[in-house]
Amino acid sequence: MIMFSQVNKFYGDYHALVDINAEVRKGEVVVVCGPSGSGKSTLIRTVNRLEDIKSGQLLFDGHDVQAASNTNVELNRLRSRIGFVFQSFNLFPHLSVLDNIVLSPMRVLGVKRAAAREKAMQLLERVGLANKAGAFPEQLSGGQQQRVAIARALAMEPPAMLFDEPTSALDPEMVGEVLSVMRGLADEGMTMMCVTHEMGFAREVADRIWFMDAGRILETADPETFFNAPRHPRAQRFLSDLRSH
Amino acid sequence: MTSLIDIIRDNWLLLLIGQFPFGPLGGIAATLILSVCGILLAFPVSILLALARISPRRWLRWPVTGLIYVTRGVPLLLIILWTYFLLPVLIGQTISGFTTMLCTLVLYEGCYLSEVVRAGIQALPRGQTEASRALGHSYYVRMRHVILPQALYNMLPSMLSQFISTIQDTTLGYVINVQELTFAANQINNQILTKPFQVFFILAVTYFAVCFGLSSLAHHVERRIAHRRKGGTRRAVAPAAAVSIPAGIVSASSPEKAP
Repeated sequence: MIMFSQVNKFYGDYHALVDINAEVRKGEVVVVCGPSGSGKSTLIRTVNRLEDIKSGQLLFDGHDVQAASNTNVELNRLRSRIGFVFQSFNLFPHLSVLDNIVLSPMRVLGVKRAAAREKAMQLLERVGLANKAGAFPEQLSGGQQQRVAIARALAMEPPAMLFDEPTSALDPEMVGEVLSVMRGLADEGMTMMCVTHEMGFAREVADRIWFMDAGRILETADPETFFNAPRHPRAQRFLSDLRSH
Repeated sequence: MTSLIDIIRDNWLLLLIGQFPFGPLGGIAATLILSVCGILLAFPVSILLALARISPRRWLRWPVTGLIYVTRGVPLLLIILWTYFLLPVLIGQTISGFTTMLCTLVLYEGCYLSEVVRAGIQALPRGQTEASRALGHSYYVRMRHVILPQALYNMLPSMLSQFISTIQDTTLGYVINVQELTFAANQINNQILTKPFQVFFILAVTYFAVCFGLSSLAHHVERRIAHRRKGGTRRAVAPAAAVSIPAGIVSASSPEKAP
């Protein structure tokens, strides 16, 4: 579904992604973890080209993400098929919860308002916020905003969802409600790529863990192996640092 | 004081609508019509200029940036004179002072407003653009439904104060015989001859009344927007709450994150 081959990215002289070769298969949940500054967010943001790559190839569902650059229409179509959830939610503050969700189906996919509303209400029901349809983002808690953001992404019916540290900006008591929505998605077989520091979630939900440091994927393993018997020394150190806290 | 009242009593209609219906509409009416039309036409122009100014396309960005720099760097009076003498030559027919003034105002205020609009767009958090991109919005959808509604709302007070300067700018129409408020006052002065202080005092008070009313409105709008922004966002409320709590308690409740 998402395929990186020999992907490299630079910020000026800084080599942000180094020879990335990896694949997220259909229906698979991949959790990307690693110390901060290791390139996790950069990696996930290359998938829908919020970041451009310098060399290599990146395929999403068979489409070359980088080649789509030539025509904006093509890139927008590609992006509309990739659900993306941000650390900082990025809801549109001038629109109600419902309008946040129906905007893109209506304006990008051309769905009629009534149908978009109906779908939005189902999604809100699913993330447990059906009673907040008329509220504005600023009236919601962080956890609620993030659940709306997930509903907003799902409204485009994307074949895959990307999560860029979806719980890092949340107060601890709100992390659970967001993770449980994500867990529900994973259970339904959604293809997911998540950057997260929630190791409990990784262990329980992920099919595979990618461990990154200094712009490289150092280890890919199933969670059982990764948490119990990490092979790479850097991963061992990372995990022991986590446990010591 | 009595002479002030006399002048107003004898000339209020002239101050209000000029020589209308026996001549062109003038006075305050003309000033307001000129300002309102000027700003209404300048508004869409300013959005287009602002979008061009932040466009990644150089052939769009550079000429518009140049135009804005030149317009902002040249006194309005000069632009009025240029338009007055140049425009008839360019289009091959004479145009009225009113039209000349309107064209000039649209260009001039459009350029000034475009910088306001640009600032409004660029002040929005990056995340808004990114979220819109990630959802696959086209440029049009992004601007029309995500960016501009927020930017223009935030810019309302600045746009109102631009409108106020536009009203003041219309006085310069006097030099090309646009029959607006200043022109009317001058006509009165030419009739009376002996009371220039009183006449121009009335003129000043009139401009002040109109502009002060509008800037109070702008101030009111500004407060409402600030209030609305503060309304539900927890981050904006936090520091105000922290002030009222004694220092010892604040340090104890460390998770409170101040922006």
